[in-house]
Amino acid sequence: MKKLNTIASALLVAGLAGLSGCSSMGVEPWERDIMAKDEMQLTSDPLEAAIDDHIYFSKEASSGGRGFGGGGCGCN
Amino acid sequence: MSRKKSKSVAATLTTATCALLGTTSTTPVNAQEEDEWELDTALLYYNEDGNRVQDISFKMLANRNFIDDRVLSLSLGVDSLTGATPIGAIPFAGPQTFTSPSGNQVRTAPPGEIPLDPSFLDTRVALTANWQQPLGRLSSFNAGLSASSEYDYLHLGANFKLSRDFNKRNTTVSLGLAFAADELDPVGGAPTPLTPMLDVDDLSNRMGNQNKDVMDVVLGVSQIINQNLIMQFNYSFSSSDGYLNDPYKIVSLVDPVTGDPVPRIPTPGVDGPSHEYRFESRPGERTKHSLFGQAKYYMNGKVLDASYRYMTDDWDIDSHTVDVRFRWPIGDRSYLEPHFRYYTQTHANFYRTSLDSSLPLPPHASADYRLGEFDAITLGLKYGWKTESGNEWSARLEAYSADGSVPANLLIGSNQGGLEMYPDLDAIIAQFSYSFGW
Amino acid sequence: MTRPGRSTEIRKKNGHFEARFVAMGSPCEVLLESDSESNAAAVAGSVSTEAWRIEDKFSRYLPDNIVHRINNSGGAPVEVDDETANLIDFAATLYEMSDGRFDITSGVLREAWNFDGSDNVPADSEVDRILERVGWSKVKWNRPELILTAGMQIDLGGIAKEYAVDKAASEAAAETDDACLVNFGGDLVATKAPTRSKGWQVGIDALDQAQGLPQKLIRLQNGGLATSGDARRFLLKDGIRYSHILDPTTGWPVRNAPRSITVAADTCTQAGMLATLAMLEGQGAETFLADQDCKYWCYR
Repeated sequence: MKKLNTIASALLVAGLAGLSGCSSMGVEPWERDIMAKDEMQLTSDPLEAAIDDHIYFSKEASSGGRGFGGGGCGCN
Repeated sequence: MSRKKSKSVAATLTTATCALLGTTSTTPVNAQEEDEWELDTALLYYNEDGNRVQDISFKMLANRNFIDDRVLSLSLGVDSLTGATPIGAIPFAGPQTFTSPSGNQVRTAPPGEIPLDPSFLDTRVALTANWQQPLGRLSSFNAGLSASSEYDYLHLGANFKLSRDFNKRNTTVSLGLAFAADELDPVGGAPTPLTPMLDVDDLSNRMGNQNKDVMDVVLGVSQIINQNLIMQFNYSFSSSDGYLNDPYKIVSLVDPVTGDPVPRIPTPGVDGPSHEYRFESRPGERTKHSLFGQAKYYMNGKVLDASYRYMTDDWDIDSHTVDVRFRWPIGDRSYLEPHFRYYTQTHANFYRTSLDSSLPLPPHASADYRLGEFDAITLGLKYGWKTESGNEWSARLEAYSADGSVPANLLIGSNQGGLEMYPDLDAIIAQFSYSFGW
Repeated sequence: MTRPGRSTEIRKKNGHFEARFVAMGSPCEVLLESDSESNAAAVAGSVSTEAWRIEDKFSRYLPDNIVHRINNSGGAPVEVDDETANLIDFAATLYEMSDGRFDITSGVLREAWNFDGSDNVPADSEVDRILERVGWSKVKWNRPELILTAGMQIDLGGIAKEYAVDKAASEAAAETDDACLVNFGGDLVATKAPTRSKGWQVGIDALDQAQGLPQKLIRLQNGGLATSGDARRFLLKDGIRYSHILDPTTGWPVRNAPRSITVAADTCTQAGMLATLAMLEGQGAETFLADQDCKYWCYR
C-alpha cells in the first residue's frame, strides 16, 4: 500500500507539472471547429462505451480506466 | 406572392442587406436547434459459443438539455441473460455430479468436458441519473446516482466529478469519485469460502446476504494538442472490500499423484457431489490502479481513436489493453468504423485450477477463468448513417475471442497435462443503435 | 444628448459579463465571454451608444430627428443623409420584393388599429379613408431627396431594431476579439461562438408564457436570429383573431398569420426581414420560409 501511495502522488505531481508545460500547446477559440465535432469527443458514443465496459467487466479482471470501473453487477 | 418569385427573395435580401450595412460578405449563420431530449437507444445481442452465456439487452440513454448548459442524463438498461457458465471444477475422464447453487438438486457434467452450471438465468435492470452543470466560467460539476437489480444482486452507487479548464480551455483537469454499496443475495445463500460443496438440501455452510463496497477515484487530464489532435490521460484508483467471491464458483480437490478429482460419497439416500469441491475464496479486499491514455486524431474527415490502459492490482493481476478505432466516412452521411482491441492479463496470485488434497487448504483460492492468465482479441466493424433529419442509425458486429493458458506450475499430478483446463471463450456482439432527438 | 433612463448595468453571470440597458422600447443585453470587466464595460458602452444613436435618429416618437422632419415636411422635398438613404433604399427593395406588402408608409394605419387584446375592430370606411395616405408608390424617392404627399408618414421601426443589432454587433466586434452576443428585445446577433460551449444558447419563448420554459433551445455560434409576431398583441372579435401584422394593400390584418416566426440568417436584418415577409404571407408563411433555405421556427 505504501508503495502504491507513492505512485499516486508521483502521478499527481507529474500531472500538475505537465499542466504548466502544456501552455504552449492548444488552439485558439476560433480554431475549434474540428474539436467541436461529435466524432472528436473523447467518448463519442457513450452508450456503446457503457455497453463495452459492461461486457469486458463481466469477462475480464480489469475495468474502468476511461471512467469509473463499471460494474454494479453480480457478473464478476 | 407567387411561389416562383419567393425563391429569389433570400438572394435579393442578402444583396440589399450588404448594401445597407456596408459589408461585402458575411459569415454564414450557424444555428442548431438543440433538441430538448436526445436519446440513444441500442439493442444488443451477445452470444458465447458452446451454449454458454447469451444476453439480449436493451439500453437507452436520454439527455435533457436545459438552458445554461445544464444537462440531465438518465439511462436504463435491461438485460436478459441465459445459458451456462464454467463453475471452476476441472474436467475429468468420468462424469462429475454437482449440487446446484440453490442446493436443492444435482447436475451432472459429461466426461472430459469443462463443467458448466446450466442454471444461469437472470434479468438485470440498471438505472442511472446524472446532473451536469457549469460552475462559473471554467468549471463544471457532475453528480449521479446508479442502481441495478438482479435476482441475486443489488447495486446502489453515487458519483461526483469536478472539471476545470485551463489554457484557453485547451486543458481540462478532472477529479471523479464514485462509491458503490452492493448486496449479494445468492440463491441458497452465499457459501462460506473454502467449505465443501454439500449434499442436496444441506445448507449448513451457507451464510446470509453479503456486502461489497467499492470506491473509485479518477484523476484525468485532457489536452488539445492542435486543431486535429486531442489526448487524455487518466489515473484511476479503485478499492473494493467485502464479499468479493463469486458465490457460484468452486475449486476441485485433486489427488496429488494423478491430479484427478477426489471422489466423495454422498450421504446414503441423498443426492450430492460426486467429488470433493471447495467454494472459492478471494481476499476480502482488492486495490486496483489504472493508467489510461487516449488520442483522437482527425485526418481529413477520418478519425483515428487509439487508447491504451495498464492496470495492476494487489491480487498481482497486471493487464494491458490496446483499443483502436478508425472512423472512415463514406459520403456525407455515413461511415464505416473498424475496431480492434487486444487485452492480456496475468493471473491472480491465488488462482488455482485445482487444490492438492494432501496439503492444507491455502487461505485463498479461485479457479474462476476470469482470474487466470489469458489474451483476448476483439475485431469489429460498425456502420453508421445519418438520416436527413439528423438522427443516426448504426449497426456493429464484433467477435471476441479469449484464449487462456494454465501455467505448468499450477498443474497437479500426472493426468492434468492432457486436459483442456482453461475454458476459452468465443463470443459475438451484435448491436443496433438509433439516436434521435426532439 | 443624454435622455433619461439611459444607463447600462453590468454584472457577472455564469462566468461571462452581462450588460443590460433599454433602447427602442426593448430590454437590451450584451453577453461577453471575457474575464475583464473593463473590456466588458467598453464593449457594452459601444453597443449601447450605437443603439441609442439609431433610436434617436430614426424613432418616430422623437421631435428632432430625420424621421420627424420627413413626416412633417408637408409635401416639401427633404434631403436625407447617407445612412437614412441606405435604409430608405433597403425599404424600397423590400417593397418591390413583397409586392407592396412591406411598406414603410403603412404606419398611419395604426390610427385605426390598436392591438390591445380588445374587440375594437375599426369600420371598413375608416380603414379605407386612412389607406389613401398609404403606399410607397405615392412617394417620390430620388436619392438623396424624398417627397412625401402631405399627410403621409414613414416609419422605419420595422427595420431599425434589426439594423441596430447588426450595427451594434459590428461595433462590438471592432472593440473585442471575445465572443459576444447582442440581443435587443429578442432580435440578436452572435459575433462568434463562445469557447465554453458549442454555441450561445437562445431560447424561443413559449407562446404561452405561463409554461415558463423556452419552447426551443437554439445553439447560435454566429449569425442573427430575429422573431416576428407577438402573442400578446391582437384583437379578438366574433371569434376571429386579428394579428397585429397589417397588410397595407388592404389595410386589414394578414389572415391566418402565424403567431410567431423566428428565423436564423447571416445577419439580424436578413433574419428579421424574412420573418416579417413570411408573416405577411399569412397561410403561406411556412411555404415561403421553406423556399428560402433558412432555418426557421414557426408557431401557429
